[in-house]
Amino acid sequence: MPIKSYVAFPRKGEKEQLIKVLENTKHCEVLPATNKEVLVLVTDTKDDQQEEALQQILDSIEEIEHLNLVSGFSEKIT
Amino acid sequence: MKQGYVIIGFWIVLLIAAGFIVKASLTEEQALNYSEIIAEPATNALPVEEGMFRLAGSAKAFLQRPNMGATSTNLEEYYKRRAFPGAPPIIPHPTEEAHSMGGNDCLQCHQNGGYVDEYKAFAPITPHTEYINCKQCHLPVNTTGVFKPNRWKKTDAPEAKQQALLGSPPIIPHSLEMRNNCLACHAGPSAPAEIRVSHPDRVNCRQCHALNDNAKNTTKIWTR
Amino acid sequence: MMNRRNFLKKAAAASAMAAAATMIPGILFASDQIDKKLSGDINWTKGPCRFCGVGCGVLIGTQKGKAVAVKGDPNCSVNKGLLCVKGYHQIMCTSSADRLTKPLVKKNGKYVETSMEEALDLVASKMKETIEKHGKDSVAMYTSGQSTIPEGYVASKFMKGAIGTNNLDCNARLCMASAVTGFLTTFGADEPMGCYEDIEHANVFVLWGNNMAEMHPVLFSRMLDNRLNRKNVKIIDLATRTTRTSKAADKSILFKPQSDLAIANAICYELINNGWVNNSFVEKHIAFNKGKTNIGYGLEDKFKFKDKATPIDFDQYKSFLEDYRPDKVEAITGVSAKDIKYLASLYGDPNLKVVSFWCMGMNQHTRGTWINNLVYNIHLLTGKISQPGNGPFSLTGQPSACGTAREVGTFTHKLPKGVVMNKKHRELAAKIWKVPYERIPDKPTYHATEMFRAVDRGDIKFIWTQVTNPLVSLPKTSRYRPAMQKDSCFVVVSDVFPTPTSDVADVILPAAWHVEKSGLYGNSERRTQYWDKMVEAPGEAMPDAWMTIEIARRMGYGDLFPYSKENHHEEIYNEYRQFHAGKKHNMAPLEVLKKQSGVIWPYIEETGKSTQWRFNSKYDPACNQDKDFDFYGKPDGKAVIWQRPYEPAPEIPDNEYPFWLNTGRVIEHWHTGSMTRRIPVLHQAVPNAYVELHPDDAKQMGIRNKQKVKVISRRGTTILPASINERGLPTKGQVFVPFFDESMMINDVTLDAFCPISKEPDYKKCAVRIEKV
Repeated sequence: MPIKSYVAFPRKGEKEQLIKVLENTKHCEVLPATNKEVLVLVTDTKDDQQEEALQQILDSIEEIEHLNLVSGFSEKIT
Repeated sequence: MKQGYVIIGFWIVLLIAAGFIVKASLTEEQALNYSEIIAEPATNALPVEEGMFRLAGSAKAFLQRPNMGATSTNLEEYYKRRAFPGAPPIIPHPTEEAHSMGGNDCLQCHQNGGYVDEYKAFAPITPHTEYINCKQCHLPVNTTGVFKPNRWKKTDAPEAKQQALLGSPPIIPHSLEMRNNCLACHAGPSAPAEIRVSHPDRVNCRQCHALNDNAKNTTKIWTR
Repeated sequence: MMNRRNFLKKAAAASAMAAAATMIPGILFASDQIDKKLSGDINWTKGPCRFCGVGCGVLIGTQKGKAVAVKGDPNCSVNKGLLCVKGYHQIMCTSSADRLTKPLVKKNGKYVETSMEEALDLVASKMKETIEKHGKDSVAMYTSGQSTIPEGYVASKFMKGAIGTNNLDCNARLCMASAVTGFLTTFGADEPMGCYEDIEHANVFVLWGNNMAEMHPVLFSRMLDNRLNRKNVKIIDLATRTTRTSKAADKSILFKPQSDLAIANAICYELINNGWVNNSFVEKHIAFNKGKTNIGYGLEDKFKFKDKATPIDFDQYKSFLEDYRPDKVEAITGVSAKDIKYLASLYGDPNLKVVSFWCMGMNQHTRGTWINNLVYNIHLLTGKISQPGNGPFSLTGQPSACGTAREVGTFTHKLPKGVVMNKKHRELAAKIWKVPYERIPDKPTYHATEMFRAVDRGDIKFIWTQVTNPLVSLPKTSRYRPAMQKDSCFVVVSDVFPTPTSDVADVILPAAWHVEKSGLYGNSERRTQYWDKMVEAPGEAMPDAWMTIEIARRMGYGDLFPYSKENHHEEIYNEYRQFHAGKKHNMAPLEVLKKQSGVIWPYIEETGKSTQWRFNSKYDPACNQDKDFDFYGKPDGKAVIWQRPYEPAPEIPDNEYPFWLNTGRVIEHWHTGSMTRRIPVLHQAVPNAYVELHPDDAKQMGIRNKQKVKVISRRGTTILPASINERGLPTKGQVFVPFFDESMMINDVTLDAFCPISKEPDYKKCAVRIEKV
C-alpha cells in the first residue's frame, strides 16, 4: 500500500493544466507551489496493481516535464 | 496566499542529489522512509455479508411494483432525515404506543415495504430487520425547537462518482454497517429516485460493485 | 487526531516540499493546503462511547479537524457495530453555541471572561488560603463516574496524597455505591464476575427493576438477538412499572416498591423448600452471615452506621426464610405466589442457565446493599455463578463508574487499591505516590450527600466539581441548591457546558469534551478502553486531569505531578497500573489497549488474554487451581450468603401524599441532559420531562394527557405535563418522572434518604401528591 510523494515540474506554461489533470486522476493529491512553476504530488494506492496502473497513467501525462520521487512509504501487513 | 510554508531539511539534500534529473528515478525500495506496522489482532467483525440476500426473493417484484401515483422520496429528503450521512434516520410520521416493540409495530410496514394510503407513499424497507428495538436508534420528532442553538454542519453525502474505468460499475461509497442489504434502500418505489437501481433483479450487488471501505485500515493507531 | 495513513501522506508531502525548497530557493506553499487537500476523506478513530456504562466501541469520523460522523465499531465485542441513538449523535453536542470556551470568574455578581492562567491562579490561591485558614478538611473535590481513569487518579493523588484530606467523593456514589458494598460484603471483591458474553450462553434473563430496552439498549438488542436465534431463551421483566422492556419480555411481573427484598427471600425459600439447592457448591464455597437490622435511613445530618457480620448456619438461615413463604409475602409484594414459584423454578432448574441483570432499581434503594446481597444469595444457593451464561450481573450507568470511580477509587474511603482505613493500603499508595504515608488520613470523611450537607452547614468552604452536575442529580436539590449559593463556600465548576451547577459557581473552568482529549474508561464488564485525542478542544478548554495538575503545581505539589502536557494520560495510566499489579486485578498495558477495542481485567500477561469469568479456576488463573471455584476476595475463599430481612421504605404514601414517586431516565437523554439536550435529534424527540400517571388515577383526578400538573412532596414542588399511556405505564398509585430536565427539577421533590451501608440515595421511592395547576 504505497504512499509516495513527488516534486513535479510541468511543461512551460502548463502548470494550471497539469493541476487540473492530476486533480482528476484517481489516487492523486496535488499541492501546487504558490509562487513557482512547481507542484508537489502525493499518491496513495491500495496495492501494487493499483500502483502500477497509476505509474502508467502518470507516464502518459504530457504536461509533466520531470517527476521526481522524493519519498515512499510502504505498509506491510503480516 | 498569505502565509508561506517552507521546510528545509538537510537530509533532503542528500536525497535530491540522487533523485534529481531523471523522471521517477527512485524505485520504491530505494525511497527514504519505510515503516513497519503491527498487525491488528483478528476479531470477529460484524458480519457485513449477513442480510445481503434477504430481499432477493422479492427482487423481481421490485421491477413489477406499480408506482400507484405515490410521491417517492427524493435524495434531499432522504438526507434531511439524517443528522449526518450514515446516521440513523428520524421517524418522519406520527407513531402510536410509545412503548411497543418493532416486531408488533414498525416492522409491520417497514419489513417488506408496501403502499401506505395514509401517506400516499411506499414505506421504506429497513435493511436490518433483525433488530426489533427500533426506537433504540430511530426517534420521532415532537418539537422543531432546540434546547440551545447548535452550529452543527452536516458533511456532504458520499457520491458514487468514482469509477475505475469509463462505464465500469460505480463503487459503493458508504460503509455497510447496519446497511448490508442493498435492495432495502436501492430498489423499488420506496427508494429515492436518485439512488434507485435499474436492475434490482441482479440481487448479487457486490458481484459488480466493490466497497470503498477504508474503515478497516483506519481503526489502527499510529505506533512508533 | 489524524490516522496513520493521513500521517504518512502528510509526512510524504512535507518531504517533497522540503525537497522542492532545496531545489528552488524561495518557493512557497500555502500553509493550510496540507490539511485541506489531504483530509478530504473521513478518518475513523476508535474509542468508547461517551454515554452509559455499557461501553460500546464507536468509530468517530473526523474530517478537516472536525468530528463529523459516528458509527459502531464492528471490532468491539461489546456492541459488534451497533449503537443507540445517543451514541450515533454524540458528537453533535460539541457544536452547541453555548459551549464553554473561556474561564469565567464571578466579579460583583457577574461573570467576567479571564485567561486560563488567571483563573487557575485564582482557584489555587483560594484553595490554599482556605486550607491555611480552616484546615485541610475545609476543602473538597466532587468528581464523576464520567471522569477518565487519569482524571480520577490525579484527583485522588491530589486530595489524599498531596493535600492530605479524604474530602473526595464522586457522583458514582449516587448510582453504584450499593453495587460496590454488595460485591464487597458477599465476595470481598468489587465488580461482576461474568461478562457480556454471558448473554450468548444464558437461557433465562431476569431483569430486576431494569428497563434495559431504554437504559442499556445495545445489550438489550443483544439479548433479543439471542432469543431470536436460539430456542429456549426467556426474558422476565420484574419491575414496578410497565415499560418497553416489559413489552418485549416473555413475562412481566409487577411488584410494589421496596418489596424486591421480600421477593428475593421468597425465591430462596422456594429453592430450599423444593430441594433445588446445589448442596455440594454451598458446602464447599459458601459461608452464612447475618447483619444488623433496623438500620435507619440516613435522613439526619452526620448520620453514622456500621454493620456487624455475625456467622450463622444453614438451619438458622432456613428458619429465617420461613417468614418469606410466597403466599405469606403476597400482601407486601403484590406478586402472586404462583409467579414467585415460577421465578424460583427458573433459577432452580439445573438445566437452565440464568443471568440476573440490574442497575439503578436495586442500587438506588435505602436497602441497596441488602437487595444486592439477596440476589447473590439466589445465584449462590443454586451455584449459578461465574460460568458462561450463569451469573448475577450488576450493570452501571456511567461510562467509567467501574474504571474510574470504583477501580481508581474516587470515594472518600477509597484508595486506588484498598481503603484508607487499612494501614497496608495507605502504605502502598504513599509508596507509589512518593509521599509520607502519615499524610493520608485513616478516616473517611464525607460521602456525596453528606458532602453537600457539609457545604450547607458551612463546614466545607471550598468545593471543586468536575464532569458532573450535582444540582440536577442530587436528591433534594431544594436544600443543596441554596447551600451551594451561600457565600460561606467558594465553588469551582469544571464543565463543557453551562449547567445549573455552573450557575452557582464562583469560577467556571472550560473543559475539553471526550474526543478532544485522550483517555481511558472502564465499563460494566471490567473492560478498560483507550482512546486517542481526535480533535482540538475549542478556545481555552482543557482536559480535567490537566486542570488538576496545574492547580496542584500552583499549590506547591509540582514534584508529585511530573507529567507532560502532551502525554500526561499515558504517564498517569502507567503509574496507576502499578496499584493493580498481580493476578487478581492486573490491568492491560497501554500498548495492548491502543490496539484493541478494550481488554477485560484481570489481564493475563502470559497469554495476552482477558479473564472473562472470575472465581472459576477454569477461566481465572488467580484462583487456587485445586478448587473448581475460589472466591478469593474473602480470606477463606468462600462467598457469603447474607440473612437480610425486608424493611419498609422511609417514606410511604399516606392520605396527604398518596402516590409513590419513581424517577429515572428515557432512552433519548443521558444523566442530567447537559449533553443530550444539546443534540437536536434527541431534544426534538423528548424536549421536556413529564409525569407518567396510571390512566385510572388520571381519570379519577380529571387529568388529561399533556395537561400541566404539580408534583408536591414534603421537600418541594415541580410542575410538569402529564403523560398518560405514552412511554411507560406506572402501576396505580405510582407516578414516574425522568430527571434530565433542569427546568422541571424533580430532584427538588425527591428524598435524600440513603442506604446506611453504601450511602447511596434512593431516587425511586418517596411520597408525593398530584394537583392540577
